[in-house]
Parts: sequence; C-alpha cells; structure tokens
Amino acid sequence: MNTPQDSMTMIRNLARGELSTKARLGYVALLLAATGMSVVIVSLWLTEPVLSLRTQLAFGAMSAIGVSWIALSLWALSTRRVLFARDRVIAGRMAVTFTSIFLTGALAAVFAGGGGAAFGALATGAVMLAAALWVLAGAKRKFAALAARRAALESELA
Amino acid sequence: MTTQTQTADPRADELLAVRCQLGERAAFDMLIERWHEPLWRYLRQFAHSDDLARDLAQDTWVRVLRGIATLREPAKLRPWLFGIARRVAMDRLRAAYAQPQAGDENLDDLAATDAAAEFEEDFANVEASLAALPAREREALTLFYLRELSLAEIAELTGAPPGTIKSRLFRARRLLRQELESKGAIS
Repeated sequence: MNTPQDSMTMIRNLARGELSTKARLGYVALLLAATGMSVVIVSLWLTEPVLSLRTQLAFGAMSAIGVSWIALSLWALSTRRVLFARDRVIAGRMAVTFTSIFLTGALAAVFAGGGGAAFGALATGAVMLAAALWVLAGAKRKFAALAARRAALESELA
Repeated sequence: MTTQTQTADPRADELLAVRCQLGERAAFDMLIERWHEPLWRYLRQFAHSDDLARDLAQDTWVRVLRGIATLREPAKLRPWLFGIARRVAMDRLRAAYAQPQAGDENLDDLAATDAAAEFEEDFANVEASLAALPAREREALTLFYLRELSLAEIAELTGAPPGTIKSRLFRARRLLRQELESKGAIS
C-alpha cells in the first residue's frame, strides 16, 4: 500500500467506520438514558427523608455512574462522533420523544402520590423537554440553512 | 502529479463541504475521491517514506471526518483540509521543524517578480526538482501553485506572516530555477 491510489480503499473503509450513524445515535441514546436515570436517582436521593448511610452511599455511587455516562457520551459526541445536520435533527426528535415519555411518567408518579421525588422528576423533566425542543428547533434551522445553501450552489453550478 | 484541483470551481468545494455537513454519505466518498491524492502528495513532502505518508494521510482523514461537521466556513474547505494535514505532519515531525530557519525575513516590500507564470506550466514535470527544495520553500510552492491557495490562506495555515510566505515563494522559485538549470531542464 504505497501509493495514494492504494491507500484510497483504506481511507474509504476508515470513513465507513467513522461515519456510522448507528454509533452516533447510540451515543445520543446513551446520553438520554443516563440523564433520565441520573435525574430519577438524584430526585430520590434528595427527597427521601430518612436514608441510612449505606443507602446514601449507594445513591451517590449510582449518581456518579450516571454522570460518568453523561460525560462519556458528551465527550464522544463532541470529539469522536460529531453529529451532522441530519443526525442532529434525528437526535433532537429522540430527545423530545424521550423527555416527553419521562415527563409523562413523572406526572403519573405525582398523581400516584410519589411524593417529593416525583415532583423533583416532574420539574426536571419539564426543563429537559424544553431543552430538547430548543435543541430540535436549532437543529432544524441549521439543517434548513445548509439545505438552502446546497440548493443555491447547485443552481449556480448547474 | 495531479492537477485536477487547479481548474476546479471553488464553489464545487463549498458544495461538497455543505453536503458533508448535512450528513450525505455519498458526499464523503466524493470528498475522499477528490482530495485524498492531493493531501497524500502534500504529506509526502514531510514524510521520509510512502508508508509514513499513508499514516499521516490516515490521521488527517480521521480529523477531517470528525471535524467537518463543525467547519464554520465551508467555502474555505481547501485551506482547512491542508491546514489539518499540516498540523498532523507537524505533530508527527515536530522535532524536525523545531529549528528556526534563517532567512525568513519579511519581504513585503520586495517587488513582485512574477516569474511564476513560466514555472506554473511545467510544474507537473518537476516533482523531482521540488523534492530537492528545503521543506518550507517546497511547501509554500506546492500550496501556492499546485493547490492554488492564496498567500493569506497559506499564511493562516502555516502560522507565518504573508510577507514571510512571499519571501519563501521568492526563494523557492529561485532555488527551483537553479535546480532545473543544474539538470539542464531550462537554460
């Protein structure tokens, strides 16, 4: 493999791995799941009135794990698997869907008498849904701007 | 040496970058098809072997694929690509470039001796002579004439003032002329 033509195949294979949509959206799913899990755990931890030291340590450990997964997925999405415009729209829709489900669950927990933890999850879920809608709107704007630029360039070059 | 980029409309590069940013897989294939060889040849200047050039090209493409989504000005795809390639090469070969080179004086005031035009036509046949030039001069010449980057773009990606680039181009043209004369290619 000593010429640029020879290494072209290697670069194409490299690109296929680097550009995997499944991997990108996998990290988005991981981020959403880890965020939801962390919110539930922290809500329980902060609102339960009486917890033994052992239980508090367990909540702390689980929260740390959740935050680690969030950090890992954010790092991957910002450096290794950066989302393209199309991926960002899909990720935004995933976030809206996930946070809507989460919010519905929290609401059900409130009506079922879930106590302070349910109210905490409900408030956080509402903030998460608002953030998800904001992210989706931004992703759609960016996609539309790029698509318009592509159309303009194609028209100029035709 | 490829000359396919010399006649390309810069808007075609911008279109390619925009399509990549949108996430069109076919656009990435076209990007690789179009730019792999020029990048490989550019990197080959820094490498002592084809194998090292291949490794540098691979690292460059990884950075390109991971970074193109956040490229702010798709119209500047060309200098962006060569800028990444240069950083990859510098990272790998930093020791060789650590020594400052004498003679990088700013020649902004130097009258432009545009003997470049007569060289440009023959560039495809003088790769061997180019290889004999010092690395910085060879790089400036390659980017300016073969990759059609402007002085400002080369200055931006090399981190040197435009006057220094002009100085390197001036010196490179003189050295290349001497090299060609010594080989009898020109009189």
